[in-house]
Amino acid sequence: MDELLKPALYRAEGTTAVPQRPALLGGECGACGYVFFPLQRYGCEKCGSLDLKPRDLSGAGSLLASARVHLHAGKGRVAPFTVGAIRLDDGPIVRTLIVEEAGPLAVGQRMATTLETATDAEGAPRLDLRFAPEA
Amino acid sequence: MTTLKDLRPAYVAGIGFHRYQFISDTPYVELGLTAVRGALADAGLPWPAVESAYVAKALLPMAPGRPMLRHLGATGLPIVHVEDASASGSAAFRHAVMEVASGLADIVLVIGVDKPMPVGRAESLARIGGLADDAIAPFTHFALLADAYAARSGAKVEDIALVALKNHRNGAKNPFAQHQKERTLDEILNGKKIAGGFTSLQCTPVGEGAAAVIVASEEGLKRHGLGLDRAIRVAGSAGRSQRVYDDATRYDAMLTQETAAIALREAGLSPSDIDVAELHDAFTVEEVEYLEAMGFAPEGQAVPMLKEGAFDIGGRCAVSPSGGLISMGHPIGPTGVGQIGEITRQLRGEAGPRQQPGARHGLAHMVGVGAVCYVHLLSRD
Repeated sequence: MDELLKPALYRAEGTTAVPQRPALLGGECGACGYVFFPLQRYGCEKCGSLDLKPRDLSGAGSLLASARVHLHAGKGRVAPFTVGAIRLDDGPIVRTLIVEEAGPLAVGQRMATTLETATDAEGAPRLDLRFAPEA
Repeated sequence: MTTLKDLRPAYVAGIGFHRYQFISDTPYVELGLTAVRGALADAGLPWPAVESAYVAKALLPMAPGRPMLRHLGATGLPIVHVEDASASGSAAFRHAVMEVASGLADIVLVIGVDKPMPVGRAESLARIGGLADDAIAPFTHFALLADAYAARSGAKVEDIALVALKNHRNGAKNPFAQHQKERTLDEILNGKKIAGGFTSLQCTPVGEGAAAVIVASEEGLKRHGLGLDRAIRVAGSAGRSQRVYDDATRYDAMLTQETAAIALREAGLSPSDIDVAELHDAFTVEEVEYLEAMGFAPEGQAVPMLKEGAFDIGGRCAVSPSGGLISMGHPIGPTGVGQIGEITRQLRGEAGPRQQPGARHGLAHMVGVGAVCYVHLLSRD
């Protein structure tokens, strides 16, 4: 059950800066220094360079916004759930699910990554990344 | 660089609509033909006068243009299909204006027509998935922006909902609107919950419909014995796509800001000159964000101005007098064309109970996923 749902996007181990929180697998442009998430190799969105390298991003940041979703059409996810926009300390902004037990959220509060049990398309249990208020 | 100012003037000479409505059995051909025939009759032009056609659609399958337009008589005119997501109609209008302004054609049709159908987004085929893309539908994207706007400006959920109150009030007076019912703030706030502070009446409905406009040169109109008395000049046109912004989540507003600035500069107008504006209010928070981004309100001041009635019909600038996307609807392909139709009606002084008194300059704005943005300025000379 230690298998990750989206291993291309995150890993269980943290970074040197934030060792206790799962890291996100981003990228950095060797030409202009732009840091982005997720890693891609098509070309830098800022300058077009193909010199793109993996860059681990710490699983810590602050909350830009959150919303409780009451209506959801897609399969495999049942409303209500909460999503948030988090600016990572390493720069990029990510939008993803917030843990259900988070309680009231306030813009600006510190958030950190955590792994939570979810299911893949076949219904098998997998660990998926969430954000939670920093303990 | 050449701008519209350096080319010959292009005018909106005719407008036509099929009502925006909930999905029905009506074939798209009938929706589209109703709007085209309406625009031709409004302009006083016969179909064979039309030299070129732009068909805006985002949801209908490939090449709906000729199977529709042949029923007006197959004249052999060139037909271009334009898809730019929500901004498809705005993109089509811009290209029709360019064709007329450049002198390549004198009379051009723009027709937006669509019916709701399941279509995917090409972006999902790039194989650069996010952490939980499926959890963030468009209404959730904007619910997140509403939360951030509230935190930034101090506005409350019920303040932002005032946009829906105004736009439903306007749409109730528009026979082509999908929602034609005035609502109380209570009804709006206590409706079906969608995401964040949004209820269903604060979100654009899914629907179908059609809108058409005829773009013409003075020479073309003259050739058919017509003058410029009801013609509305296209004073500015700008199209842009998203760049890399510091707050990547606010790309709609950032993109709107730079696109509007270009169009206003081209037209030699400032936001205070604009009497009437149709903007991309698919979700309430968008209207306040874009009013600030385009310079109609200082940063954080759109809500107080909304409360004072500055954006009501009869206020400083009537915003979404048609009802906007929230009330008139957003059938996608037609939406940007319909905005041009509404602005034209307003600048002609023919908007009846929705008329903004003395309207001389109007602005139309759409964003589309991707993201892309268009801003057009129309003026009565």
